[in-house]
Amino acid sequence: MRHVLTIASRELRSLFVSPVAYVVLTLWSVIAGTFFLASLYGFHEQQFRLQQMQMLDRLETLNLNDQLIEPFIGSMWVIVLFLLPAVTMGLVASEKANGTDELLLTSPISIWDIVLGKFLAGVEFVTIMTAIAGFFPALLFFYGDPELGKTLSGMLCLWLVSVTYVAVGVFASSVTRNQLVAFIFTFVLLLILGMMLPFIVDISMSGSGIPSESPVAEVIRWMATGSHVDRMLQGLIDTSDLAYYGVASAIFLLLSKTVIESARWR
Amino acid sequence: MSQDEKGRSGGSPAPLAIEVDGLRKRYGDHEAVRGLSFGVRAGEVVGFLGPNGAGKTTVMRILTGFLPATDGSARIAGHDVFSDATAARRAIGYLPETPPLYPEMTPASYVDFVARLKDVPRAKRREAVDRALERCGLLGVRRREIRQLSKGYRQRVGLAQAIVHDPQVLVLDEPTVGLDPIQIREIRALIRDLAASGNQTVILSTHILPEVEAICQRVILIGRGQKILDQPLAELTAGGVSLEEVFTRVMTRDASDALEKGAA
Repeated sequence: MRHVLTIASRELRSLFVSPVAYVVLTLWSVIAGTFFLASLYGFHEQQFRLQQMQMLDRLETLNLNDQLIEPFIGSMWVIVLFLLPAVTMGLVASEKANGTDELLLTSPISIWDIVLGKFLAGVEFVTIMTAIAGFFPALLFFYGDPELGKTLSGMLCLWLVSVTYVAVGVFASSVTRNQLVAFIFTFVLLLILGMMLPFIVDISMSGSGIPSESPVAEVIRWMATGSHVDRMLQGLIDTSDLAYYGVASAIFLLLSKTVIESARWR
Repeated sequence: MSQDEKGRSGGSPAPLAIEVDGLRKRYGDHEAVRGLSFGVRAGEVVGFLGPNGAGKTTVMRILTGFLPATDGSARIAGHDVFSDATAARRAIGYLPETPPLYPEMTPASYVDFVARLKDVPRAKRREAVDRALERCGLLGVRRREIRQLSKGYRQRVGLAQAIVHDPQVLVLDEPTVGLDPIQIREIRALIRDLAASGNQTVILSTHILPEVEAICQRVILIGRGQKILDQPLAELTAGGVSLEEVFTRVMTRDASDALEKGAA
């Protein structure tokens, strides 16, 4: 455990020496701010229109959580998918490129120390990202009266998605010594995991004649991040969703460990 | 120093710090190490000599636990490098061919990081780091970024990293390769100091003959993965023969043997 912290803190410090961390955090802040403003104007306009049209019953149901915070977080987790590969691409690949893997692998530490250290550094980074994104919904508490539980559940969802994607990034970074390859591989994996799985199911199922409610299709749909986001954004924390993030992270960390370990046998 | 050396090589034999027995390493079809056996006594400074591609780096990587052996065994300070890897690694300081440096770190923070990895107790860590930096002449550049340092200084940082936990065995893979003559002399002096001041066992690989003559007490010569010669330097060069002559003689004999074998 001590070694995990040693590796994580070194990694985090190196991340913040490189410009990548600052570029990502700046882009993230700008995008979050833009999306938040857009959602805010949208909300305002909707409210204005409903008032003009005297649709008081609709106006009653209009609230900050469902019409503002939820779509905001719902778009931010997609942004994670585009920005995170830049952060995680170097986690393991740069060690190989530097030759520092030889130091780590000849030190009295386990491969789990390395994998978990890298993962923890990434988790700390996405925690900063989540905190930045959380700043905007937090503003609403000064001017309005959103539900705290629902908002926190949404933030937790954003954080869990990011953490899971860090595990994917650690894995993609451990298969290569080239950071660009790691970046592209992470991005492709995240695109598939995050967005394309439901489409893959639909397309392949419609061709093969297997009913789209078959167990296979269900399992593949369960694997998609998208199917574990909506309920949580609405404030419903389901154990099966939590299990999804836990299982997905564990699988990718286990794969990373296996890849790093097997490299010395080749 | 010479008295010290005599005491080491002539007196009662010290325990073996490195024991290699029937070591083999196969990469696909190519067998890089073929049944290599040797031992190094505690406190000895041994030159691991051979032409490029002889398998020096492979042997060192097996000793340090970076690569698994295909067959045979290796023990560091009595610990098997494979079955008792953690204890063996704790007893080793290793400078790979390219020093494993993080260019964005400073020597001080880098050596501190390695001290943590090697389980230097927290209470002694600062002292150990300072001592390693001092012994390698790095105190003046301790707060500079490693990427700004010259190649000679980087090599020193690599050495500081290898000695920070005061290991029983020091494994140095071509420690002077790519340095200018002055830097080479400095690094050699440093290694000699390290060997003389501590009771560290040192095994260093090189293909530069004067290096062995300058630093080592014993020579292990390997070619194509096999041991060709294992003798104290004093015996080898007795009678005014230079190591270079011995080396060339042995290597050409080895090469012609190989040719005959190939023809037959």
